[in-house]
Amino acid sequence: MDKSRKAAVAATQIMNEMRLNGRQCALALGLIVLAVFLTPRLWKGVERFDTGLDYRIPYDLSKDYWLYQRRLEDKIDPRSMVMLGDSVVWGEYVLPDGTWSHFLNEQSGQADKFVNGGVNGLFPLALEGLVDYYGHALHNRKVILHCNLLWLSSPKADLQTDKEEKFNHSRLVPQFFPRIPCYKADANERLSAIVERHFPFSAWVDHLQDAYFGQRSIPNWTLEDDGSDPPRYPNSYKDPLAQITFHVPSAPSDDPQRGPKSPRHKPWSESGGVTQFEWVDLDTSLQWNAFRRLVRTLRERGNDVFVILGPFNEHIMAEESRAPYRKLRDGVTAWLTENKVPHLVPEVLPSPLYADASHPLTEGYALLAKRTLASDDFQNWLKGP
Amino acid sequence: MLFHTWPFLVFMLIVLPVFYALRKTRWWIPWLMASSYFFYGWWNPYYLLLVFYATVLDYFLVALMDHCPRAGQKVDVTGRLFHLRFGDWVLKTAFLASSAATVAILAVAWLGPPTLRPALAGLAVIVLLMASGALLSNRRIWLLISLVNNLALLLFFKYGHFAVENVNAVFAWLHGSWHLPEPSTLMPFGFSYVLPVGISFYTFQSLSYTIDFYFGNVDRERNFLRFATFVCFFPQLMAGPIERAKHLLPQFREFPPIRRQNFTDGLSLFLVGLFKKLALANYLAFYVERVYDNPKAFGAPALLLATFAFAWQIYFDFSGYTDMARGIARLLGFNLILNFNNPYLATGLGEFWQRWHISLSSWFRDYVYIPLGGNKDGVFNTYRNLFVTFLLSGIWHGAAWTFAIWGALNAFGVMATRELERSAFYRDRVPRLLKQLGVFVFVCLTWIFFRAESLGDAWLIVRRIFTAVWSDPQIPALMLALVGLVWLYQFLYESKHREILQTGLVRVGCAVFMVLYLFLFASGGGSFIYFQF
Repeated sequence: MDKSRKAAVAATQIMNEMRLNGRQCALALGLIVLAVFLTPRLWKGVERFDTGLDYRIPYDLSKDYWLYQRRLEDKIDPRSMVMLGDSVVWGEYVLPDGTWSHFLNEQSGQADKFVNGGVNGLFPLALEGLVDYYGHALHNRKVILHCNLLWLSSPKADLQTDKEEKFNHSRLVPQFFPRIPCYKADANERLSAIVERHFPFSAWVDHLQDAYFGQRSIPNWTLEDDGSDPPRYPNSYKDPLAQITFHVPSAPSDDPQRGPKSPRHKPWSESGGVTQFEWVDLDTSLQWNAFRRLVRTLRERGNDVFVILGPFNEHIMAEESRAPYRKLRDGVTAWLTENKVPHLVPEVLPSPLYADASHPLTEGYALLAKRTLASDDFQNWLKGP
Repeated sequence: MLFHTWPFLVFMLIVLPVFYALRKTRWWIPWLMASSYFFYGWWNPYYLLLVFYATVLDYFLVALMDHCPRAGQKVDVTGRLFHLRFGDWVLKTAFLASSAATVAILAVAWLGPPTLRPALAGLAVIVLLMASGALLSNRRIWLLISLVNNLALLLFFKYGHFAVENVNAVFAWLHGSWHLPEPSTLMPFGFSYVLPVGISFYTFQSLSYTIDFYFGNVDRERNFLRFATFVCFFPQLMAGPIERAKHLLPQFREFPPIRRQNFTDGLSLFLVGLFKKLALANYLAFYVERVYDNPKAFGAPALLLATFAFAWQIYFDFSGYTDMARGIARLLGFNLILNFNNPYLATGLGEFWQRWHISLSSWFRDYVYIPLGGNKDGVFNTYRNLFVTFLLSGIWHGAAWTFAIWGALNAFGVMATRELERSAFYRDRVPRLLKQLGVFVFVCLTWIFFRAESLGDAWLIVRRIFTAVWSDPQIPALMLALVGLVWLYQFLYESKHREILQTGLVRVGCAVFMVLYLFLFASGGGSFIYFQF
């Protein structure tokens, strides 16, 4: 080595004492791995999570996938049947005692037999991610999977458009393959979503932020203002640790946005007219392909899957949209039949029982539960192994 | 590609093993260069054209300089011009090629699309100068070309808009009809006029090589790939440290020794840098932005604390980047120079500049202050040289009057305290903590001009700090605690109690704390402040 090179590679100057040797690195790594591995597990022991009858993940915690996983693993009786789906299953316009699962339990006379596993805004591409990465507890059990054709009602709903769209649960969708044209996140965001799925500690940190810090990082939360002008910073002085109550927040008991008393709880015809739908082709639909993969995944895990298709609000459809819709619906049922997936296509509910294109109102869910339980296919599936 | 993003981790997971796998071949330098170009091209592939152009030109300029006599040899210009008697085929080829290229460029400029003319005119000047350099065999001309070329790139991309705006304002004031065109209208092929990230750093680095070679301080690098790697070495390409050829080029001559310490030091440095950026700089930025974006809405304490917060923010941001850069280089087995040395513990302004952005300060010292005469020509000239150096250093940071004033304020500060700092009274009688506090407060006041959106805002903030009501600043306690902890750490590091920090327990504890803090509290991504320079 020549002289100039020797001078150049002289010991690195580090202006602090943070210079760990090999053994210290290994010790630090061990401690970090231990903390990262144990903390989410220990947390379950100290944080109260009250579920009970008709429980559904609160709207504000819709993106708390760690909590969803915890519920599936620890809070659901293995004999119960989990209903998976979007806000139709969750109950967008209704209170917990007005949901599909509530009426199924009530009408079958078996409390907590049907569990509301719906999540607001969870379209098939995201539901696939939720089951793949946070739904490992869904194995060897009976699962009811709802298929909402609303997600195929336009290229935009199917996420096929080239124009960038911001949508819910983007961290659950496939980040690279299959390609979602309207999802334009940069490589960092996509990779961080992938890491988060495989790193429970990260999902647990999201849980802390969702449950206690209004979906903000803790430093951001300390700087939150109250919206006044000039802003005051009410959180600047609050102790972030005091926010952590060790009790998962529950949904408000008298949610003003939901239930028969809410102004939103009204038939669709009172707020809008008929709609033209641009149904996508089943063969090219991203959502339908995700749904098919989801059925396969659930069955590969030993689950006994029952699919309920709709009932979509056909009253809201413009006349020209009906024929393509029926073709699409028939295509779905044909695939389900071909693959021997037990399924039910409930009769369309009366028009006043729908709040919009796909969500029933409370009475609608009651009727839907009645029709579901009256179905021979469903009863046969219930009695099955 | 930012160091604290996942794509960079993937990049390193590919670059590092391949680099080590190639250690016994000749391919490790091409690999390092290709990786660096990929890293830079990730931002914008068009930037690669500029860095490649600057590299090629400086490589050949130094090669041609090497063929010219150092001094004292007469050149037969007539014989060369009319009979092509050069006596050196390299210079002869350079002369012929440059002359032909000048004609060709002028022809294309004449016949080609008008949008290409400004760029071709600039290129023609460079090539014509090259022909003159070959004809006269004058080393100074080659140096001049390197200076003109690198500074022209910097001036055009960084200061073009600012200069045009100000010149046009002067024309308008004089009621003249002249009007300089916007630099964006001079871009060829429809390229957008954006500041190429890191241009201030790599042009200075490349320039230092030609200047050092001219003065005989460094040997010529004959291997083009090695030189190109020196100019674009990815850990320090974007924001330094600005390396000198004498320090970095020899490290590329052979594969670095593989030692465990490379990894432990590299990871330690990277972790500290990551913590500074994500946990500290980004957090402080929230408070600073809120106050500085609307200074009228805040009282004196908030403005003062936001100014202090900015001082720490820019330190954590830039030194965090540097730590990560040095850590990455260390993982590859290379050493980059120290860029920050706990600057807020300086006891004098002169000392502060020996601790802050050391690679830039020393660059200006070696290539501006000393060539101007340094401190050898009396007090007046020393102060003049100091002023010019600080002013240029301020302008280097950005094209705005706020940066010029920031540089000038620092110059006045250093000039005003130079004698005081040398006095026995200041050295021995003034308590160390008081001196540190004085330096910190002065530096913070200058940062106001650095951070403010405009001169008007800067004056407003200064005025309000002294005149506004004393209302609650409402700064988060967590923020104060974090900065306090860092200050305490640095204070201990420079005190007689330093051994506390050297214990394994403290080192491991700090590392575990930093990693878990990052997992739990890290405040988003965000680019580095110094990327805009």
